[in-house]
Amino acid sequence: MKRNPMGSRVADGLGLAYVGAVYVFLLLPIVIIVLMSLNAGEFLTFPPQGISLRWFGTLFANEAFMRAIGTSLKIAAIATVCSTVIGVTGALYVVRYSTRFREGLRMLLMLPLMLPEILTAIALLFFLYASGIGTKTMFGLVIGHVLVTLPYVFTNVASTLYNQDASLEQAARSLGASPLRAFVRVTLPLIKSGIITGALFAFVISFDLFNMSLLLKGIGMTTLPLQLFDYLRWDFDPTAAAVSTVSILLTLAVVIVIDRTVGLRSLRFG
Amino acid sequence: MSAAVMPVPGSVAAPQRRPQPLSRRAFWLIVPALLLIGVFLVLPYLNIVSMSLRPPAVGAPYGQGFTLGNYATQLTDSYLLGVLGDTLLLGLTTVPICLLLGYPVAFHLARTKSRWGSLLYVLVLSPLLVGVVVRSFGWLILLSGNGVINRTLIDIGLIETGLQLMNNRLGVTIALVHVFLPFMILPLVGVIQAIDPTLEQAARSLGASRLKVFWRLILPLSWPGIQAGTILVFVLTLSAYVTPVMLGGAQVKTMSVLVVQNLIDNFQWPVGAAQALVLAFCGMAAVFVYARISGLFTKGIQ
Repeated sequence: MKRNPMGSRVADGLGLAYVGAVYVFLLLPIVIIVLMSLNAGEFLTFPPQGISLRWFGTLFANEAFMRAIGTSLKIAAIATVCSTVIGVTGALYVVRYSTRFREGLRMLLMLPLMLPEILTAIALLFFLYASGIGTKTMFGLVIGHVLVTLPYVFTNVASTLYNQDASLEQAARSLGASPLRAFVRVTLPLIKSGIITGALFAFVISFDLFNMSLLLKGIGMTTLPLQLFDYLRWDFDPTAAAVSTVSILLTLAVVIVIDRTVGLRSLRFG
Repeated sequence: MSAAVMPVPGSVAAPQRRPQPLSRRAFWLIVPALLLIGVFLVLPYLNIVSMSLRPPAVGAPYGQGFTLGNYATQLTDSYLLGVLGDTLLLGLTTVPICLLLGYPVAFHLARTKSRWGSLLYVLVLSPLLVGVVVRSFGWLILLSGNGVINRTLIDIGLIETGLQLMNNRLGVTIALVHVFLPFMILPLVGVIQAIDPTLEQAARSLGASRLKVFWRLILPLSWPGIQAGTILVFVLTLSAYVTPVMLGGAQVKTMSVLVVQNLIDNFQWPVGAAQALVLAFCGMAAVFVYARISGLFTKGIQ
């Protein structure tokens, strides 16, 4: 019956060291990129030869990268608005009104997350051509981004809706509020956190989406991940690290906003 | 029965039944989602099957009529079968590594009371939120011939010449594990958090060793999370494109790389469609077999 406290402390220490090593592994490539982007030298050398922001200067002078960042921001903004509207209304229906088909509908809205993104992109590419829509406009690209981001909005909003008492809305209704008024004045403020988290999550995911953009981009159109991917085929210099750092900083900003407004633990995943 | 069904368990069914028309009017709420998924997901997936049955053509995406030739080629050509096997093997190596690295982290994250808990959660999430191209680029810097790891090892005198860390399966596997590890950890955290810690304490106070508590209690209870995580990582690995291209070079060809090559470079849509579907089918078959086996396993340990 007697336990060995010494041995268990050693086991604890080993366990913590192992877990710590995995955390380091997770962070390593991201830290390395940021360090490399601050390198004053000509090449991606380690350790960095002095610290400088010169590669960010090169990046801001690089028209192709700046245009790609603009396109990525635009598409992410449009896709986020669309998937937020569709995700919120969908979650409202599934959680509050659906009766017989609730589980089926939930599965349907989560479907894009469960299917391999590249297969969905291929299917969508063929479909755009078969239906005559083609890839001359941004339409197909935006649809692809909305599909991928929808499950993240849906699951975040649905889980906050489940945690809210539906009788609050019913109380407002029984006191004479119209359905729209009851929703805007009662339900919306209650599920605000889920909507914010879902929308921010959708924005970051869309900004970094690769496979969809690779197959569905129009001619002459490029997004930041595509531009970076192309750039790395020919060049291997700290400009690439600088543009990656910009994308990492964007993610960090979103994570901080989520943490400050609703707390990171409220983030729903799948 | 009707619209009065509550999602919240504690709430008592409302005495005055909501009038039916409201829930019928509410149906419009789900219409945008149904349209989006119906038209731009379900129809395209049906369409891809018909595309895979088209004969290839020159100068056009596909020819007239229908054929099974694309499937026949994929399933008889030894090179193509080799690529398919390599892709499945990549999935079969990435999944157990992700599980071995991810499970302790998930357990730590689920049980930690440290005020850094939130920060550690971000750390696990961060690779998920930073794009796959950026993360693979990070590994490129670390693993390349003149990269950070080789430089460091040479500088401290452990090796004389650089190790071949990328443009091979090793590099691809390392980067894939990094890219998909969050998808293993996050489902596990949820499941482990739901296991009541007092169960563990009870087992311990009754004299069970730590190992026994883990094997008899924690592992069976966290099995749904393990299942979700492993399936997710397996499917994601099979369809990964960016990482194999960036870290595998010409040496590591996976099915996704081949498919994209057929679609974009060679303009051979029917061939690409058939290959993508064969890969998807193999993935689903593997998941099905796994779910059966692991179902038997849980029955065995409970």
